[in-house]
Amino acid sequence: MNRLHGIIFSYVMRNDLRELTELRSPASVPFGGRYRTVDFALSNLTNAGVTDVGLVLHGRYQSMLDHVGSGKVWDLSRKRGGLRILPPFNYQKDWGVMPFRGKMEALAGVKTYLDEIRQDYVVMMDGDLIANIPLQDVLNQHIESKADITVVCANDSYKTADGTYYEKDAQGRITEVLFHLNQPRGYRGLEIFILSTDLLRKLVAECEAQDQYSFRRSVLLNKRDELNLQMYVWGGFAAQMRSVQEYYDRSMQLLNPEIRAELFPAERPIRAKGADKSSTYISESGSCLNSLVAEGCWIEGTVVDSILFPGVTVAKGAVVRNSILFKGVNVAENATLAHVIADKDVEVQNGRTLMGHYTYPIVLAKNSVI
Amino acid sequence: MKKECIAMLLAGGQGSRLYVLTGEMAKPAVPFGGKYRIIDFPLSNCINSGIDTVGVLTQYRPMELNSYIGSGQPWDLDGIDGGVQILPPYMGSSGGTWYKGTANAIYQNIGYMDQYDPEYVVILSGDHIYKMDYSDMIRRHKKAGAVCTISVMEVPWDEASRFGIMAVDGNDMITEFAEKPKEPKSNLASMGIYVFSWQALRKYLTEDEADPNSENDFGKNIIPNMLKDGQPMAAYRFAGYWKDVGTLDSLWDANMDMLGAGSDLDLRDEEWPIYARSVDAPPIFLGRDCKVNNSAINRGCEIHGNVESSVLSPNVKVANGASISHSVLLPGVVVEAGAVIEYAILGENCHIGKDCHVGGAPADGKKKELAVLAPDCKLEDGRTVAPGVMLDYKGQEVAKK
Repeated sequence: MNRLHGIIFSYVMRNDLRELTELRSPASVPFGGRYRTVDFALSNLTNAGVTDVGLVLHGRYQSMLDHVGSGKVWDLSRKRGGLRILPPFNYQKDWGVMPFRGKMEALAGVKTYLDEIRQDYVVMMDGDLIANIPLQDVLNQHIESKADITVVCANDSYKTADGTYYEKDAQGRITEVLFHLNQPRGYRGLEIFILSTDLLRKLVAECEAQDQYSFRRSVLLNKRDELNLQMYVWGGFAAQMRSVQEYYDRSMQLLNPEIRAELFPAERPIRAKGADKSSTYISESGSCLNSLVAEGCWIEGTVVDSILFPGVTVAKGAVVRNSILFKGVNVAENATLAHVIADKDVEVQNGRTLMGHYTYPIVLAKNSVI
Repeated sequence: MKKECIAMLLAGGQGSRLYVLTGEMAKPAVPFGGKYRIIDFPLSNCINSGIDTVGVLTQYRPMELNSYIGSGQPWDLDGIDGGVQILPPYMGSSGGTWYKGTANAIYQNIGYMDQYDPEYVVILSGDHIYKMDYSDMIRRHKKAGAVCTISVMEVPWDEASRFGIMAVDGNDMITEFAEKPKEPKSNLASMGIYVFSWQALRKYLTEDEADPNSENDFGKNIIPNMLKDGQPMAAYRFAGYWKDVGTLDSLWDANMDMLGAGSDLDLRDEEWPIYARSVDAPPIFLGRDCKVNNSAINRGCEIHGNVESSVLSPNVKVANGASISHSVLLPGVVVEAGAVIEYAILGENCHIGKDCHVGGAPADGKKKELAVLAPDCKLEDGRTVAPGVMLDYKGQEVAKK
């Protein structure tokens, strides 16, 4: 049996994704032409051989339930273990009504589930991280370094809203846990943690008894001297999308072949629910350049520097530039879009023009008709 | 568990006229239309028609087909009762035989069918591209009080002698059946899709098996015998897209039919989806210098060159400066810079080296001659493959017999 158990947090967290999370949690936001953000966490887990995964939900989770189904796509529909969906089930406190204030509170809400974990180690991760990380390597380092908790961090210059940053010493031990900084410094935390199942149970019980809810404050920050916190540094692509701008910028990076190679290596495939669509068709009048396009699209107009999800139609004379069009978006004849993020089934009618800017992409809410 | 209707899908054919494409796999497993295999069409038609029990009779090179079908989950054919079941020939206590003919294949699986005690059995083949509601055909069968109903379509008179041809009376009941007649009396051709009342078929299969002179074939034996006995047999007229993709030319034609809005083969219709076991790959990437027109493309493709009037299956790579036209590329084909592909079918995972030239456009008024490469064929840089030439996986020329 694999020694690692996965817990994905997919409750509605503080973010500035505006219309994109009006009807869904950040972990079920469409990304990269055919994925939902949670596909990355789920695939990272299954690629590391993880067979038991808990998905912690709270609020606006219908879209998530529709998406993950039985977990079959990630090979998580199993007789023993597999995918466990964990909406709040303890209503003694206000958990059914109020959003979770932090990971420890969320875990306290599913304590009976924690007691049943069969594996020695748990990897906790946020459902909104876009990365392809070899978690087996992280576990190996965790065991070798005799860490109590291993924190996966990125070594890049990206800053993310409400992010956690870490500093470490030469031995890799974390010395400082930083958040709410005006000028972030240190390594950017990717909200992936490995620790032993026993320690996790102990910490959850302790925090619950003291009415503490935050993992980063009550555990990482307050216990950084008491516990051996080690860092695993990930050098590849890792996007946390907490704002529309971050969503847009990080999506557009996929047009770079090196970024795609980092995110989609053949040996660690990212699995996603397939849409039963036919091939994508580009007509004689159609043109599609420097773009990422899913199946079932019908392109008779011009598409440049854009990302198209399944079943998008771009009619004759329409021009789509620097835009992200979700599933089923219909751009009618002679319409022009630039720097637009159009949510599912948006209809842009004949001749309409919508222009955003690199620094301010326009978001069109699901089902809207322009 | 009793089922009103089950389907039996004849998928054992070698598909010898697809030559190198079926060297390692049965014909129904051959990729079609970018993301499908031929067998996706009858399987999807079944589930869309409300038939949830399908026996698939395999014989020739079944591995690829077996693993493709798997549990039947992509077609929703993995239910508790029924679902899809692979039925290979088997040994019994008194020996066993290969499937001798289409009728014998069904005969050997009487036990499978009896389990469901069906009223009707639909017999299908695994080499046709079409969308059909079998439940409508079954309604016709019941209403006509027939023991056998055969789906037919009108074909041009000058092609009628290539098909099994039916003559019908004023009520579209079949009066005569002739297999490839020299002088056809009608232009109603059999599409190789039958509905039988099970108890009647069971009796005819048993009798046919006992006849040592029989070829154990539906077209040659079972149907003529039923007709001779005066059994009520109905024709079911089908209007819509249907194509037998048993030859390289017809397989290419059907792929081309899929392109564009004007074709009869509409695979975007959400009311009648064709399901497929799809590969997991990132979306298509179309490069800054690519030029694509009138073409169908699938997941995992990376296109930097020119693609015109072609069908690209998943994970095809086309480098800068390569040029593909009027061709069908099966999954995983790589085309290097400067290569030119025209009027060709390239098997799975073929690798076309730099500046190769495969196939060519037909001269004015001349018939097209397809160049065909076997799966895994690797062409060294600069190689030319003339129109109409077929290569095996080692890159050596093979004759089309």
